[in-house]
Amino acid sequence: MAEDLVLDTAIRDWVLIPLSVVMVLIGILRYFVSKLMRSSQVPDPKIVKEGQVIVRARNLRAAANFIPPKSFRSRRVYFSNEENGLLFVPKGQAQNAQAQMFSDPNMAMDMMKKNLSMIIPQTLTFAWVNFFFSGFVAAKIPFPLTQRFRSMLQNGIDLSTVDVSYVSSRSWYFLNLFGLRGLFSLILGEENATDDTQRMMQMSGFGFDPSKQCATCYCAATIFCASDFCAAWVPDSYRNFSQCFSQDHQSLGAEKDGLDIVQHEWALPKFEHRAEAVLRKLTM
Amino acid sequence: MTGHSDSSSSEKKSNEEMNDVPVFSAENMQNNMKVIYYSRTFMSIIGGVIAGILGFTGFMGFVFYFLVMTITSIGLIAKAKFSVHLYVDSWNRIILDGFMGGLMSFVLFWTFAYDIVHIF
Repeated sequence: MAEDLVLDTAIRDWVLIPLSVVMVLIGILRYFVSKLMRSSQVPDPKIVKEGQVIVRARNLRAAANFIPPKSFRSRRVYFSNEENGLLFVPKGQAQNAQAQMFSDPNMAMDMMKKNLSMIIPQTLTFAWVNFFFSGFVAAKIPFPLTQRFRSMLQNGIDLSTVDVSYVSSRSWYFLNLFGLRGLFSLILGEENATDDTQRMMQMSGFGFDPSKQCATCYCAATIFCASDFCAAWVPDSYRNFSQCFSQDHQSLGAEKDGLDIVQHEWALPKFEHRAEAVLRKLTM
Repeated sequence: MTGHSDSSSSEKKSNEEMNDVPVFSAENMQNNMKVIYYSRTFMSIIGGVIAGILGFTGFMGFVFYFLVMTITSIGLIAKAKFSVHLYVDSWNRIILDGFMGGLMSFVLFWTFAYDIVHIF
């Protein structure tokens, strides 16, 4: 029953292209606005110190095999001994730091600002699309979908015999929302909606590439955005935020455990054999 | 896309010393992963436009997407002169990483091109 509808060229000129152009421009605008609005926050010295200690411990763990066993052991004791080891945190303190972090007003304010700068353009654009571009078929998606998607994709169209491939402009908006992320990452140079995760990393002093976390956090954020525009989303993001932070403070204990586990195996003796093999090959 | 033409020429060696214990320069490896990501995104956008213009529908379109991703992987491996271990830490990174990430961009540009050329 798939009849081919003939759609007016005016729909292409006045719906598809303007909607895409508007979304691209709003994305660019949001990127620059968030860049301008970013308040330069004085990082807390204690947090930065802890972050740097963790980075040092991580470097030690990664390069453990390049230093002699004795110096490795002395470094390890420096980090993880019971009385004044840098990584040793008694249980009570760890919990306190986490609670303090969560109720810090400055940080909550910034998080709020970042969330709002993401929700508000999307909400406004969605409302605009619904108001102006509803009630007609906007596009045809090239692949067939089952009947269950009909209510989701064809909200303004009340004919039940139209093929599910013919979708309304609301679904074109969602398609743009997800599909333009790749384009934004190309033209804006970096993932722009994950600035909050990058700033959290900065504040906790990690010299760490958040690109993997960028992808997952951003996916989670957009899924939340798309499925539920109301305030139910904001408490979820607070929970994620506090979880990320509590992980940072528990990571001191995790680093200590990781360091304790490392088996030292000195790699340098093998280098002499390798040098000998190379020299032999060269002189043959 | 200046980002793409610059990045393809700046893949850096991340594994300089050929040891028994491989040593990685984390910064270079991050750069390489970024290059791979940009290449895949760019190719999926171009692939979407091509699929739309050629009029692929349904399953054929997704097959074309996998084809484009495979071509991207082969291109990246060829650019790394087939010694992949110098640039990334495992084969999986250069072949499978970001495979599904470009899918939404592909579908968007596929729908766009298909509609503009065939429906309107």
